[in-house]
Amino acid sequence: MRFITMDVKKCVVCRNCEYACAFRQSGNFRREDSNIRVEYHNDVKICLPQTCLHCEDAWCLEICPAAAIVKDEDTGAIEIVSERCIGCKMCMLACPFGNIHFDKINMVSRKCNLCKGDPNCVAHCISGALQYTTVQDSCLNNREIFHRFIESILDINTE
Amino acid sequence: MCDNRCGINVFVENGSIVEITGLKEHKWNNGRLCVKGRLGVDLVNAPDRILTPLKRTESGWQEIGLEQAYDEIAEKIKTIQSRWGERAMSVWKGEALGFLTQEALYRRFIHAVGSPNYFSNDSGCYVGRWMGYAIVTGDWATQDFLYSKCAIIWASNPPYSQPNLTQSIFKGREKDGKLIVIDVRLSAIARQADEFVQILPGTDGALALGIARQLIEDDTIDHSFIDNHSVGFIEYSLYVREFTPERVEKETGVAAARVVSLAREIGGRRPKVSIYAGNGLEQHENGINNIRAIACLDGLLGNFDHQGGNFNAEKPKFRDLTLYSEKPLRHLGPIGADKYPVLYDVRQECHTMTAMDTLLTEKPYPLKGMILAGANPVLTNPNSGKVVKALKALDLFVVRDLFMTETAELADYVLPAATFLENSEFHCHPIHQTISLSKKIVSFQGCDTEFIFLKKLAEKLGKGEYFPWKDAEELNRWMLQGTGIKYEEVLAHPEGLEYAPRRYQKYKEEGLPTKSRKFEFVSEYLRDCGYSYLPEYIAPAYVRSPNPEYPFVMVTGARKVFYTHGRNRNFKRCITAIPHAEIEIHPSDAETLGIGTGDMVTVTSVVGSINIPVKVVGNSEILPGVTQVTHGWRESNINLIIPDDRNDPVDGFPLMKAVEVKIEPMVKHETENE
Amino acid sequence: MKIVIIGNSAAGLSGLEAFRKQDQNSSVTVITCEETTPYSRVMLPYYLREKVSYKDMFIRDDHYYERLNAKCIKGKVVNLLVKERHVVLENGQIISYDKLLIATGSSPIRPPINGLEGEGIHHLWTLDDVRRLAPAFLRGKRVAVLGSGFVSLQGAWAALVKGLDVAVIEIMDRIMPRALDARGAELLALKIREKGADLRVGTFTKEVTRTGFGEYVLHFDDGSTLVVDLIIVGTGVRPNIDFLKNSDIVVQQGIVVNERMETSLPGIYAAGDVAMVPSFLDGRPVVHALWPTAIETGTVAGNCMASQGDVYLGSLNMNVTQMFDVTVASMGEFLDGADREVWVDERLAENQYLKIVLKEGVPIGAVAVGESELVATLGMLRPLIRQKIRINGTPRNLKAIMAQNISRHHKAFSG
Repeated sequence: MRFITMDVKKCVVCRNCEYACAFRQSGNFRREDSNIRVEYHNDVKICLPQTCLHCEDAWCLEICPAAAIVKDEDTGAIEIVSERCIGCKMCMLACPFGNIHFDKINMVSRKCNLCKGDPNCVAHCISGALQYTTVQDSCLNNREIFHRFIESILDINTE
Repeated sequence: MCDNRCGINVFVENGSIVEITGLKEHKWNNGRLCVKGRLGVDLVNAPDRILTPLKRTESGWQEIGLEQAYDEIAEKIKTIQSRWGERAMSVWKGEALGFLTQEALYRRFIHAVGSPNYFSNDSGCYVGRWMGYAIVTGDWATQDFLYSKCAIIWASNPPYSQPNLTQSIFKGREKDGKLIVIDVRLSAIARQADEFVQILPGTDGALALGIARQLIEDDTIDHSFIDNHSVGFIEYSLYVREFTPERVEKETGVAAARVVSLAREIGGRRPKVSIYAGNGLEQHENGINNIRAIACLDGLLGNFDHQGGNFNAEKPKFRDLTLYSEKPLRHLGPIGADKYPVLYDVRQECHTMTAMDTLLTEKPYPLKGMILAGANPVLTNPNSGKVVKALKALDLFVVRDLFMTETAELADYVLPAATFLENSEFHCHPIHQTISLSKKIVSFQGCDTEFIFLKKLAEKLGKGEYFPWKDAEELNRWMLQGTGIKYEEVLAHPEGLEYAPRRYQKYKEEGLPTKSRKFEFVSEYLRDCGYSYLPEYIAPAYVRSPNPEYPFVMVTGARKVFYTHGRNRNFKRCITAIPHAEIEIHPSDAETLGIGTGDMVTVTSVVGSINIPVKVVGNSEILPGVTQVTHGWRESNINLIIPDDRNDPVDGFPLMKAVEVKIEPMVKHETENE
Repeated sequence: MKIVIIGNSAAGLSGLEAFRKQDQNSSVTVITCEETTPYSRVMLPYYLREKVSYKDMFIRDDHYYERLNAKCIKGKVVNLLVKERHVVLENGQIISYDKLLIATGSSPIRPPINGLEGEGIHHLWTLDDVRRLAPAFLRGKRVAVLGSGFVSLQGAWAALVKGLDVAVIEIMDRIMPRALDARGAELLALKIREKGADLRVGTFTKEVTRTGFGEYVLHFDDGSTLVVDLIIVGTGVRPNIDFLKNSDIVVQQGIVVNERMETSLPGIYAAGDVAMVPSFLDGRPVVHALWPTAIETGTVAGNCMASQGDVYLGSLNMNVTQMFDVTVASMGEFLDGADREVWVDERLAENQYLKIVLKEGVPIGAVAVGESELVATLGMLRPLIRQKIRINGTPRNLKAIMAQNISRHHKAFSG
């Protein structure tokens, strides 16, 4: 499976990914429409892009009381089926990474669906911080990638 | 639409452009595009695009036919030139329509019709840096970030202004590289810097000289390069001795110890040091010499034309479209060439700030006609009020643009133009030494390319012999003659055709491209022109003689992610995200002034006042006492209060990045009911 | 091995799915007293206010059991014969098991108020309840909602959206005593009233009588009355354990289970609303009767029935919904206390509320009322509670602290 990986040593919080994703979702540049969120934490000097990690055992999927979250077998993406979503926000509470957001216009939860295998955020990441990469063991890899992502944060913190 | 020139795929459905994506094979952007790139779709299909010629009449704009417009314009040009002389006509090239061929064609056209008066945005942007480097090294080399051990981004924010540099900077850093960012503001690129050096506006020369002093003191310099390939090292090294870390701290605000450690970091990584000099350096009263001081570091580090350093790429030797050797017109007194001879002699640029004076005073001679293509000086030149007055004084003002810009509103004729997707033009990426040809994808009835427009107009003016090519393809083929590059081969390589393999340290056999064939720590040429021999440091006015009435120093023109200079404000989704101009202020200044984000303030310089909303930025994002305003906005147009008479004596660049201002909470005019 | 699962809601379904992931061979029988394919209890109020269609409430398709190679029997379990390992249905049918999962859920309690009976009295707990309520749930009708828990208030919100006249009667002196703190309750109460509901707290209903028109009259302890067409009762639930009365299984507020969801009787497991499980924060047995807890405990039970490989870390209560145009969420221990430190995010707007409760620097709970993004903050805080991670730094920049602490969370996650 391929994942969007995030290199915190390359992200500059230029927000091209946010605008690209927002455009894909709504045709506009409203940041709140984006499924990827990037923040510069000035006090700790961290550039942190965050989007769904498509967990192997996705708790959001398991606890969705509307069965509105499914796994796309082709891309491995954990997706929200908007037509089924009731807007209860249980998935937002379930996600430990804060990667599910709420669409206040349609009153449904929104998250990354890997753009069916061609993520727009990656295509518009001008720094190379975001990559869409193939890996053999999806489960292990999912964790490893996040681990690396985290290690790089720790590096910055300890410097 | 932007000079970064990414490789793109353009998707067409039913004759319309519907999507633009990055071209994966392209070495420059590797398939990535910033969101500006995708805006190309909107640019071509914009509902507010001008598709019909407009003529100013007493009752407003009148739509007229293209032929009629060209005929009338040709007649008026003839009248002006016969009455006031050929040099009373001028052209002004902007960046909204085309690239380098467009520039060359305008230079060709104006000479063809007998006037030397070619103006462009370049007398306020880019050329200052080019000249600063060219004086020292003969050219402005390209940064070889991919192989660099130390990338220095000086007064620039590539993620917004040159997105693709960002990829190569970080790719290069992966292998134990360092990124040093020197800037007034904590820009996007600065967030990732290993060293972020926050400096006072306009004091960069002092820092460069201080680093040079330390490199020499530590003897981390390339003696072989200095001994064999440079001139003036002794005088230069004596001069830089004055710039002790303590003095540099006083001038720049950068701590003395930091200056030393910075020099050691850079010196330790030579020669794989790449330095990119940004636009923040050139719009100053001592800009050229500050840039020269930075350029001189290349001579010490030996990174000039070195892999991983500042690589002096070979350029394709296109046939020259300009007529400067065929039909030189220097004797006709190009506007500004007397005051800024270096600007004209080195770059053949007339001086736009002087042009405004000429238009208003008819001195040194009347300037009566102008064709301006894809530029918007009302927003981008200093002292906008004067710009408006001056352009209104023209007898004939023709504007070619895609949209009704603030400048087009002043025109006698507004002519529809073609976007880059409606034209075929060469593009080079010097760092990879590749060339490619963009294709004409679509066309719109009545929207001529600049080439076709100039050709038709030249024909009507009896100068058709200068534009013998029937279309863009013929022109492009002509340009390639004698270069050894085959047109068909370029076409077959949309990802870029390598026209020559990269070679390093070419100066060892060929010398440097300067007059002396050496690296010029000092410039006899400048001395002969009456300027400083050395890259002399002169502190900016706000430091030298502070005016208590204007306690803040204002920087302008920091780039925003999807705005290119004055453009893209007509795209709704851009306005949704970044809706207006704002003045960036340090939290402590905001507190003193009793203002917060979103409050309106009045900003006043000696030129005038504007009202503008406040943005209080993070503590480390800007220094107290320093503020920043991005230009290019119709409302809160910051150039209304930028002086046009405080120019760098060498290149004539206007002071736009260290302007003394005062900031006051805006006085609300109470309504009667209150 | 023969597996029997009683119940086909959250706990039963996740038990079945977890079991099948590990064991594709054993026979599995699911017994349900519901007439339909599995539906989501959480969606009932959303259906009432027409946010979802009737068919969307079903969360598994018609071929679900077939696909999972399980047999589904419709019927009500009336007895459990432990020694024989038999389950007895109302129709006399006997089903034998080797391992049993009790996921029978809970039923609403009807408070002992005189006259609280008849066709106008409703609950909001099962599909049947809602099918019965829907035809009467019409614009212009008057409804009194007894109780102010999550389900009651969602019922009240659905009624407001549909254009009914709504009164909410809470016996305590504030709403949502089990899911919000005082400040959160106050903010929500403001919203409820702003949206037009007649909210009465500290109000005890002494008696209900009927008029000749069939209306219900609620008589309150202060002497006042309220005339309505419908009453929705949402004053709590009790576990469905009547069929266990002949067994020796240990029952307190629910069926007592260990951390593997096994009851006092070997081979018999319980999960969901019917089970009394250890609380995550203090280990004391609790019945949370929450959807996420049901999913978690059902999964642990399913895993343990297949092998012994899973241990429940304990139930961490979490609630979230959007109603009255405001987002309400809480989790863990969110009440102030002498041994607790409380952070309230002061940077939020006046009608926004985010409170985090810590004990010795470790977050133990939070409550949020306001914008939806606050829920994401609670979501990020949850692993910190789960991993008992001490938060360093000041609460001033909560998001940054979260960002840093994601790292520590994830170490635990990958280890």
